[in-house]
Amino acid sequence: MPDTNEGNPLREGLSSRNMPEPCAVVIFGATGDLTHRKLVPALYNLAADGALPPAVSVVGFARRDKTDEVFRTEIEEAARKFSRQKINDELWSSFSSSIFYHRSEFDNLEGYEALAKRLDELDAQRGTRGNRLFYLSAGPDQFPVILENLRKSGLNKAQPGSWARVIVEKPFGTDLPTAQILNNMVVEAFPEKDTFRIDHYLGKETAQNMMVLRFANAIFEQLWNSRYIDHVQITASEPLGVEGRAGYYDKSGALRDMVQNHLLQLLCLTAMEPPAGLDADAIRDEKVKVLKSLRPIVGDDVRKYVVRAQYGAGAINGKRVAAYRDEQGVDQNSVTETYVALQVNIDNWRWAGVPFFVRVGKRLPKACTEIAVQFKGAPAVLFNATGETIDSNVLVIRIQPDEGISLRMSAKMPGSSLQIEPVKMDFHYGTSFGKATPEAYERLLLDAMSGDATLFARRDEVEEAWKFVDALHDAWAKETDDLAMYSAGTWGPTEADELIKRYGATWRRL
Amino acid sequence: MSLAVDPGLPVEIGTIGKELGKLWEESGDTKTRASLINLAIYTENPDAVLWNTGLIAEIAGEHACRALLIFADPAADKPDARAWISAHCHMAGKGERQICSEQITFELDGEMVHSLPNIVFSHLDSDLPLYFWWQGEFREPLDQKLWSWIDRLIFDSADWRNPVEQLAIARKIATLNAERTILCDLNWTRLLGTRFALAQLFDHSCANARMREIEKVTITASRRSTGLLLLGWLATQFGWKFQSLLGKEFFLPQSGGHIDFSVTENPGADIAEVSFQTADVSFGIRREEYSEYFHGYIDGGGFCNTNMVLSAGKSRIEDILLMELSRGGKHPLYAKAICAIEPLLGH
Repeated sequence: MPDTNEGNPLREGLSSRNMPEPCAVVIFGATGDLTHRKLVPALYNLAADGALPPAVSVVGFARRDKTDEVFRTEIEEAARKFSRQKINDELWSSFSSSIFYHRSEFDNLEGYEALAKRLDELDAQRGTRGNRLFYLSAGPDQFPVILENLRKSGLNKAQPGSWARVIVEKPFGTDLPTAQILNNMVVEAFPEKDTFRIDHYLGKETAQNMMVLRFANAIFEQLWNSRYIDHVQITASEPLGVEGRAGYYDKSGALRDMVQNHLLQLLCLTAMEPPAGLDADAIRDEKVKVLKSLRPIVGDDVRKYVVRAQYGAGAINGKRVAAYRDEQGVDQNSVTETYVALQVNIDNWRWAGVPFFVRVGKRLPKACTEIAVQFKGAPAVLFNATGETIDSNVLVIRIQPDEGISLRMSAKMPGSSLQIEPVKMDFHYGTSFGKATPEAYERLLLDAMSGDATLFARRDEVEEAWKFVDALHDAWAKETDDLAMYSAGTWGPTEADELIKRYGATWRRL
Repeated sequence: MSLAVDPGLPVEIGTIGKELGKLWEESGDTKTRASLINLAIYTENPDAVLWNTGLIAEIAGEHACRALLIFADPAADKPDARAWISAHCHMAGKGERQICSEQITFELDGEMVHSLPNIVFSHLDSDLPLYFWWQGEFREPLDQKLWSWIDRLIFDSADWRNPVEQLAIARKIATLNAERTILCDLNWTRLLGTRFALAQLFDHSCANARMREIEKVTITASRRSTGLLLLGWLATQFGWKFQSLLGKEFFLPQSGGHIDFSVTENPGADIAEVSFQTADVSFGIRREEYSEYFHGYIDGGGFCNTNMVLSAGKSRIEDILLMELSRGGKHPLYAKAICAIEPLLGH
């Protein structure tokens, strides 16, 4: 086989996005839930959309003993169940022939050396050009040993003209020191440009639309500062409990599970300055500046600005649900928070004096993730002069479900009297764009194969976020009497209502 | 000629806005009107009204629009203008409510055909772009005011009887408001799946390594114009220049030598096969008429895995229009591709 490859001129201008190059995708933890529910369906959907080079090979790396055929059969079942597109037998037949299974313990160097040989063979057979994408989908405790063996076996080093990249699933550590250790291990094996820390929230259409909304619409950016904005509320609520993740969740809690990554990412997208360009580093530079501007919450301020809570028994959708401590696998005396609300202050020119209220919780009445920008009220003259409250404008960016954007404004009710009521202008993605949006993992896998890191977290982002979150955890570790309780099926503890009330606001009714 | 189908509720042209308002009032809160674009369709074929109405219903599910369907009969003796309104609704999300797009159908007979610009301008949903699908041959003189208003001019060059003349008029329309108007040839959009498949073929290291050794390209297409357009794209991307010498036509690659080509018409898939020959290897993509996929192959040279199944894209005109609406943007490669094979259009 000729060993020189040029670029592909037929790719030029074919799509406005970067196109992936042929590669071997090696999934560590291939028998896990994520592979079955998300990764393989995402790869199939990309193939069905013609977005995946046919030479792409998928190699599942896991401990259990099985053949390629058995592995293919297992993931076919999963793909049929979880793929957003119906499985076409003809395409599946071709796609599945690109899937292989490699059995090895994660700590067995010989298994990696055998993997290297197998990947070389696949390069020759399938034309994957020596490109490798390693997906760490195993438990986070396995990341160090996998990275070490990738390095020892030389798999982390690409041949000239090829690349070797790694995707790291969250959690990126459990606190700043562990994140730094993990990052150091990653950087020993892969340079930062080839490291893709996945946060699937950033793959969602509405999160991606945040920058378009802010920087492609002149009307919003002019108002996007402390002069016009009163405060911002970021909410991520879900009615689900721990759902079989008790072992992980009870050690983690809402702050580490959701705030450190997803919600701080959303906060960054809301608060960042316009980047110098649309390249990955320009955008991530601006996000890091926001994280560095977060006012640390330490000492007495923790009680003032943060509420942590845990759900007790209650009802969701007409069904009784157990208290967190009664969930299977949860310590009866657990003080892990399933809800957290906090007031975040950003000490920079744009946001001075504008608090960001962030809340996240399990067993809340409904699933909803949104960013609500609350504008200041109109001056207290004319319609506001009588002392009657007129609702101020609110711009809501709904991340999920029912992705869209709405703007609340005031309008005169028809009739001879002057009565003002709030009305809502509502944009629903599903209404205007009927087309089903791709799953976040499809976009993110494609980006990693194309070398576009824009929607992935950079090392300094992750570490700055941990720095902010660790200060809260350290304070919590010293006090245990501040854990509030709320009934499952309610919108959280009264302490959270009081937190935002002190500022003179209330949580949005969702 | 009168329409044989009933395209909705007949209304006076002067009261269309009011009647549409009533339509939405009567539906209460159960229906939401949505619109992202104005989609005007012009046809002189009375049989196409029903088909176009079905097409609008289908695309409205993905691209909420205000549709203006205009049937014109310039040869009618009696000048007349009539209008109908209707709505196309589909359930959204979990089925709590219906999302609806409006359709206004016009019939313009005889001299009233000249009122086309006014009919369009009077019934646009304000501030939304105008996509105009001209189903038929372009004719001069052009009404500058109408044509320069168009954001995306949609047509299908596969239907052109005189491609050289029609291309010249299309280019003239595009220059009336070059800042605004984008030419959207559905014959080009039709090739999207094939272009992706060929790009994927050349991702393969075996094919990629032989890119500069191609000696012949053979294209089998249902229509010559579609095959030629694909050839034009290949020539543009690979940097081949068309040459005609002593009655022989070929392309000159940058690497030297020459590349023979043939475009064969064969009923069936839009593009049934594209094959490339080098001195020792033949590779390409092949598609059965009703298959949604191409099969990629590489023969000779001791080459490797050729079990490639590549998505071929859609063939129905409804799907092609949907693709065009979804892609947006300008089509700079189209202009280059058509230039690359322009001398062949008159054959």
